[in-house]
Amino acid sequence: MANLLEVRDVVAGYGNGPAILNGASLSVQPGKVHCIIGPNGAGKSTLLKAIVGMLRLREGDVVFKGNSLKGLRPDQVLRRGICFVPQERALFPKMTVRENLRMGGFSMADKAALENRIDMIEERFSILKERRDLPAETLSGGQQQTLAMARTMILKPEIVMLDEPSLGLAPKIVREVFKIVQIMSEEGITILLVEQNALMGLKYANWGVVLDLGRTLFEGPADKVLGDPRIQELYLGGRRAA
Amino acid sequence: MIIDIIQILALGISLGGVYALMGSGLSLVFGVMRIVNLAHPAMIMGGAYVAYWAFRLAGADPIAMLPVAVLILAATGLVLYKLVFEREAQSARYSEMTVLLTFALAMVVEGLLGAMFTNTQRITSPEYATDAYFVGDVFVPKGQLFAAVTSVAIISALALFLKYSRFGNAIRATTQNREAAQLLGVNVNHVCLVSFAIGVGLAGAAGALVSFVFSFFPSKHWEWIVILMSLVVLGGMGSVLGTVLAAFILATASVFVGFYFGATWSTLTFFVALFVVLLVRPQGIFGEKPELA
Ligand SMILES: Nc1ncnc2c1ncn2[C@@H]1O[C@H](COP(=O)(O)OP(=O)(O)OP(=O)(O)O)[C@@H](O)[C@H]1O
Ligand SMILES: [Mg+2]
Repeated sequence: MANLLEVRDVVAGYGNGPAILNGASLSVQPGKVHCIIGPNGAGKSTLLKAIVGMLRLREGDVVFKGNSLKGLRPDQVLRRGICFVPQERALFPKMTVRENLRMGGFSMADKAALENRIDMIEERFSILKERRDLPAETLSGGQQQTLAMARTMILKPEIVMLDEPSLGLAPKIVREVFKIVQIMSEEGITILLVEQNALMGLKYANWGVVLDLGRTLFEGPADKVLGDPRIQELYLGGRRAA
Repeated sequence: MIIDIIQILALGISLGGVYALMGSGLSLVFGVMRIVNLAHPAMIMGGAYVAYWAFRLAGADPIAMLPVAVLILAATGLVLYKLVFEREAQSARYSEMTVLLTFALAMVVEGLLGAMFTNTQRITSPEYATDAYFVGDVFVPKGQLFAAVTSVAIISALALFLKYSRFGNAIRATTQNREAAQLLGVNVNHVCLVSFAIGVGLAGAAGALVSFVFSFFPSKHWEWIVILMSLVVLGGMGSVLGTVLAAFILATASVFVGFYFGATWSTLTFFVALFVVLLVRPQGIFGEKPELA
């Protein structure tokens, strides 16, 4: 099947600084869960930012359903159907839970449809319903991540990109976060996630991508990545435990 | 004694209402754009001159002229943003640059107003400006009261707009987390443009009210900037409601100081408050507290 999103040899950096991405490539297949792994500072977050247009592409291209996203602003990329939840601080801390959800549908023109979607999301994630009128900053870390992820579902986007959704959460909460990833996937949303906890991420993913020093070293089926002895040694154990 | 307190409160609250409107636009713009618009009080001065000339030439009531002042100043804000700030927002040295830029802008506005209207003290004098209500022994100047009521009405409208309208929510979202707002489809440049125009429009509104509450001349905005800075800082930079509450608190404090120590000391209240707050509680009284944006 044709790829939904194709990242081709992207070179990008911050401002006029050095290139952080140095030939990053990636193919995203419809309906699958993709996991990008790699050491700290590899450029994983930078890659997601480049895809949504938070960084200018110096070289290479990002193609979504046959159209280049090059030069688009993040708000325009969102309207094409790609939703990005950045690492930490994705919420509006002083707005209520419900207002945060409503912002998730900011780009929807139909107000009634939006309120309907919010109600549906609240039904599905009861904690968000219970806390609907409280400021988002009063939620626990796990609840905040739930809100950030649930908020992307308002729009029914084609691709959701999650940057380290499990960051700083207790193991039990991490499992809940991955359950939400599964729910989103079952809804037909294609997932692209970055995960520090590479074993966990790859376990839930269909497709694995190894990024280091700003370039793609390997991509393939997640079980293949998990099984590769070289990748195991470099990225799935030895180095991380040290 | 108790009468004195009530008198101080009455004067302080009505004065606070005026300061609240003067500070709210500054606070809004700071919240959204992280710009301390040092030219904000000069813009208020612009609004005051609009009201002054309309009164002088056509006998127009300054409160009735308020919408006109808002439109003229908001339009000025739009043009300024397009010409000056939009490009600057892309710069890495944005914060430092805007301090210098808005400082220069304040000087330019002052120079223009001085050249056009001279440095003579002006004030509009509709009938109510020189009248007062008496409740027993307590008096409230009518002008200040009308200005405060108008100002509170405008601020309430602003608060409702920010809380309940779609665009108002986009403004609050941009204030709280610019990146996330953009990722959810908010065109933050557009939000900045409109917020800046609203902020400068609010300066125009404040100017129309100020025109009959204080006498003014072009360079007087330097005195206002200190007063407004103290409100914005005490209110927790960027929180409109915080600024409004700070306005009532500090205005009342200044009336209190003026009452017991003499009028020359009352302005000093704001300077001292600014200094003390920056030293001991730089996040302001309401910093890190429930939604006040
Ligand atoms: N806003 C920024 N401005 C300049 N350089 C940045 C910025 N953000 C990240 N970098 C640099 O880009 C490089 C890659 O960072 P990035 O955040 O993409 O790594 P990462 O793979 O997501 O790491 P982590 O696992 O720690 O999140 C780092 O060297 C970092 O210092
Ligand atoms: Mg990262």
